[in-house]
Amino acid sequence: MKSRNSPPAGKVVLLVILLLLGLTFVGCTGIRSSPEGGSGGTVADSTLFLSPTLTSAGGFGCTSPNVNGKLVALSAENGTRFWEFTMEGSTSGGGFGCASASSPAAVYGSPAVAGELVYVGGYSGKVYGVNIASGASRWVYPREGKLEPIIGGVIVAQDRLYFSSADGVVYALDAATGDLQWEFATGGKIWATPAVSGDRLYIGSFDKKVYALSASDGTEQWQYQAEGAIVSTPLVYNDTVYIGSFDRNLYALDAASGDLKWKFPAGNWFWTKALAYNGTIYAGCFDGRVYALGAEDGQELAAVDLESPVYSWPVLVDSRVIFATEEGTIYAIDTATSQATLLADIEETVYAPLCASDGAIYVYSHQQNLYALNAASGANLWSLTIK
Amino acid sequence: MNPWDLIAMQPMINTLIVLTHYLFNNFGLTIIVLTLIVNGIIFPLTLKQVHASKAMQDLQPKIAELQKKHAKDKDKLAREQMKLFRESGVSPAGCLLPLVIQMPIWIALYQSIIRVLAVIPENLVGLSRYLYSWPVVYSTLPLENHFLWLNLASGDMILALLVGGTMWVQQKMVMTPAADPRQQSQSSIMLWMMPIFFAYLTLSFPSGLALFWVTSNIFRIGVQYFIGGWGGLVKTEPGKPAGRDKKYKERIAQVEESPKIDEFPRLEESPEGGADIVVPSETQEEGSSYEESGGKRPDRGGGYPKSIRAARHKPRKGGSHRRKRG
Repeated sequence: MKSRNSPPAGKVVLLVILLLLGLTFVGCTGIRSSPEGGSGGTVADSTLFLSPTLTSAGGFGCTSPNVNGKLVALSAENGTRFWEFTMEGSTSGGGFGCASASSPAAVYGSPAVAGELVYVGGYSGKVYGVNIASGASRWVYPREGKLEPIIGGVIVAQDRLYFSSADGVVYALDAATGDLQWEFATGGKIWATPAVSGDRLYIGSFDKKVYALSASDGTEQWQYQAEGAIVSTPLVYNDTVYIGSFDRNLYALDAASGDLKWKFPAGNWFWTKALAYNGTIYAGCFDGRVYALGAEDGQELAAVDLESPVYSWPVLVDSRVIFATEEGTIYAIDTATSQATLLADIEETVYAPLCASDGAIYVYSHQQNLYALNAASGANLWSLTIK
Repeated sequence: MNPWDLIAMQPMINTLIVLTHYLFNNFGLTIIVLTLIVNGIIFPLTLKQVHASKAMQDLQPKIAELQKKHAKDKDKLAREQMKLFRESGVSPAGCLLPLVIQMPIWIALYQSIIRVLAVIPENLVGLSRYLYSWPVVYSTLPLENHFLWLNLASGDMILALLVGGTMWVQQKMVMTPAADPRQQSQSSIMLWMMPIFFAYLTLSFPSGLALFWVTSNIFRIGVQYFIGGWGGLVKTEPGKPAGRDKKYKERIAQVEESPKIDEFPRLEESPEGGADIVVPSETQEEGSSYEESGGKRPDRGGGYPKSIRAARHKPRKGGSHRRKRG
């Protein structure tokens, strides 16, 4: 009963495999399955500290990411590499490189420097204190196991290291030893970097709340309920906390009481940290604009259209506010006129916070290239690939 | 934004978010509900496809016979097959067209779930450009990705087994025993390979997606049951008829005992001692079991097996006769 016209089993199997591979391709295309990170730089004593984007490799849109991250120390003047420190990550090893349960040591927030240590925390759920001179690890927190992913950056104030994690907890460690001093749990994930001013720590959470905590013992001082989740880092300026939200508002809250002073509605999410200069708040938005607002009343002074979402933190150089767009255009906004000038176009994706030092701005692209640009002219001083 | 994103992804993503808002911010529940809604909307297409597939399966013995008869003349075989399709009122495209129409919907739903479950900054940033400017969308994001014991953003072993299991059941239900051992072997490969592959794939994808697959599979199992009963899931024991329940046998017995018995097919025991074979009064269909011939279970309001209906309404000689479906 052999039918000559029936397709051979091999063809059927091949067809099934092709269909499934097609499905895998469609599912993975354009969707990143693994965190890649890429921190901004931090400059101290002519040394630039930075954690590069994790590389990925693989076909069919599915990537097989590197899981180990790095903290790299470079010369801020010419990019000469001094040392690199490896941060171990882990992966679940799922099929087709589409594993979603992996914990690579991708770093999103900029490293912090204090004394003889540089600090960095990553998606792998660990925070490190690393010797600035040698690149050797001084301590790691937690010593055993790991926390939920750390998306925000770390900051140092009053000999404490502050950071938050996707478990919704704000942590304060002894900056010298890495010992836990206090922790405070919020009602949602935290992806933001905390801000410290005086004895107050301010942080926004996915639970749509802004919290003010005692920086010394972590006790809650006040909380403010916004209308959307908060991933942006607070800016504290003139006793006011400025913070953007997914509800498309930029909030100005009284730093002492948490009372709302004003809120400014924009066209999309506020993700990046705002910047204050001379009584004006500059806030980049996902609607592609930078809003210049009166710090006291929230009045819109200017809306500068950069035509691409602003994700990266801005920097202030010589009374000019420098913004980078997601598309890689770098603009300088004159604080006197609110006019934007195109400084450079690196034509690469920029997520990492900008960094400025000694008349240079450092832009690290998602394509793993670091650009040192003249802050005044935008001229390329040097550039190199940091992997 | 490309047309695919504009027409498919954007509406789907925003629907998911709004639905989550109204379903107690429970994204797991949203996936289940939206999968059911989408399945409900395209139900007529699914029904059409299942009916068409069933009709094609019913014709398999006849096609096999033609293949045997015209093994050396492919042109003749093609002509005869087309003639058979015409006379039986079966369109081979009827199986594929509804499937093709459904595919973009499934892919959009599938991609939307992955995007909305953004657990890393890169994906959440990407999600922002898909959002409508409705306040509810902005206040609902980001979505909570815990549901029951699941982290909807990570793979889950139990859900992977459920995906594989439900897929196997669904396939087994529509599977018919083939006379040709080669075809039988192909069917067996398909029966096991797809569920195993999807279960493996599920471990690698967010379990939100697996939830969508499981819900879809269960829905389709329901549709399949509604149309064809448990199908190939019911084991045929030697010496026992493969008919599923008493009612079915009673109906067949009624047919056999009816006054117009001459116009009806005879019911015989399978030579292999397996399935009931319904033999039309004029032409005998080898291996035409209930599973192969039954479009709807007689006791479920679907009428008699097709072979019985075919015997009732003989095609006119030299002309096509399209049977009306009950």
